[in-house]
Amino acid sequence: MSLSLYLPLAGNSINILLLFGLGGAVGFLSGLFGVGGGFLMTPLLIMAGIPSTVAAASDSNQIVAASTSGTYAHWRLGNVDFKMGIILIIGGVLGGTLGVYLIKALRALGNADFVIKVTYVVMLGVIGGYMFMESLQSIRRKPVESRKTSTEPAKVSLYNRLVQALPYQMKFEKSGVSLSPLMPLVLGVFVGILAAIMGVGGGFIMVPVMVYMLRMPMHVVVGTSLFQILFTCINVTIMQSITNFTVDLVLALILLLGSTIGAQFGVRLSKRLKGDQLKILLASIVLLVMVQMLLSLVLAPHLMLAPKGGH
Amino acid sequence: MQVGFINRPIIRLLMLGLFLVTSAGAGDASSEIQVWPDVVQIGAFFSGLEVKVTGKIPSGAQAVVEITGPAAAERLMRKGRRGGLWMNVGEVEVQGAPSLYLAASTTPPLLKAPPKAATWGYPALKQQVRFAGSVEQGEREMFLNQFFQLKESEEVYAIFPGDLKVKGGSGDSQVVTGTFPLPTTVKPGPYRVCLTMVQGGQVSATHGCDLKVVMVGFPSMLAGLAYEHGAAYGILAVIIAIVTGFAMGYLFKGGGGH
Repeated sequence: MSLSLYLPLAGNSINILLLFGLGGAVGFLSGLFGVGGGFLMTPLLIMAGIPSTVAAASDSNQIVAASTSGTYAHWRLGNVDFKMGIILIIGGVLGGTLGVYLIKALRALGNADFVIKVTYVVMLGVIGGYMFMESLQSIRRKPVESRKTSTEPAKVSLYNRLVQALPYQMKFEKSGVSLSPLMPLVLGVFVGILAAIMGVGGGFIMVPVMVYMLRMPMHVVVGTSLFQILFTCINVTIMQSITNFTVDLVLALILLLGSTIGAQFGVRLSKRLKGDQLKILLASIVLLVMVQMLLSLVLAPHLMLAPKGGH
Repeated sequence: MQVGFINRPIIRLLMLGLFLVTSAGAGDASSEIQVWPDVVQIGAFFSGLEVKVTGKIPSGAQAVVEITGPAAAERLMRKGRRGGLWMNVGEVEVQGAPSLYLAASTTPPLLKAPPKAATWGYPALKQQVRFAGSVEQGEREMFLNQFFQLKESEEVYAIFPGDLKVKGGSGDSQVVTGTFPLPTTVKPGPYRVCLTMVQGGQVSATHGCDLKVVMVGFPSMLAGLAYEHGAAYGILAVIIAIVTGFAMGYLFKGGGGH
């Protein structure tokens, strides 16, 4: 019996085990790091012969399942800050809408692809590089710092003073931080704009933003990020189904079966790893994707013509 | 009423006669070229299919068999270098190119180096393909070759020089057979199979028959739902994803001991 399955909207058939494996691997990373995995899955599906538009839209649908599974698992562990998540979702939707108009304007000017590619490389490079260096330093100096903190008073940075000066301060109990809701709202808008430009859910940008700018603990960040991604991807799936007819349900179903199982294993491993170890692993993956993308920008392509729809 | 009653059997007889005449004609044509299967069904487990073409040609003649898909305008992106970086720099619209092109010949030169007036092979396709958009006049030949390479990488264009098998038929005719791999990406629609006979470097005759590709069963139902009821399809996709996500979470909770 053939292990190939025909995908009616992708207009291609693909090996079931390959799809299941891809879904499982990316779902595992999703549960481990709290990222949707769109920045990994979409290129992998394109490599497997799925048209880029169908790959991106169907991936959003499978992320709905993976992030439902991941959010549920993290909620049981008490790792979801719903208050923070809802504010980020509102910001993300506003930013996403702004981003869609921005990319439309750039496409009219004819340089959207340049902006998308450069944004990808810069964002992945900056985030991956910063996370990697910071986590590495943190792992190295931990024993020294724990002695220091007992004798020296903590310095309040300019960033902290600015954050504390914002109006409507409120306590986010689950995250253990007090800040103005304007802060996650504005950051949500910023991530939403970038996510729309780059055509991804934005988890890999949202996670560092929560860690470094909202100062949330890593384990709450993962659960809250998945909660936010869930809503972003529900919106994208419905919009893509209505406007572009690019959500392949068969493709998404196989991917989501793999990814929901993978996500559960990811969540379990995330409990065993320390925050810095999680960050350094995510940073390494982000940097690998950045290098691959940079190479595709620098090396001459095999063909000077490409199907429309990909970056 | 009475006139209609009288006329009905006459009309039936006329139609039967017409059918016998046309099917006899079709029988003559199909004896020159036949394709099996003549209807390809894309079902849930479709993973491409080999179609077999059989034709009759005069003894000593050569032949080319082509399977061609309907032509439709296609939009592609051209790559270019900006600020030292490779990226999409413009849109190219390709017109007149068939959606599928598979060709095989009895001898390799017929496809590798066809005569100038040949109506088959890539040189003939080059005559009918047109570019619009960001392509300069001097770039046409380069982009034609790039286009064929792209289509070959997508497995929708392929040539098989010398792959048609020739067997001595009865008397002054011989039988040619060839198998053609229809890729997994073949689109539903009407396709044309064409047998061109070549004698002394000249086309002596051409015969054709139809090949139909149809989507059936679950893929057909799902595609219908997606294209005709987009919102319902999207909501269904989300509900399935959420239910699966919760179900998996619940299943793992049972065995996981959180």
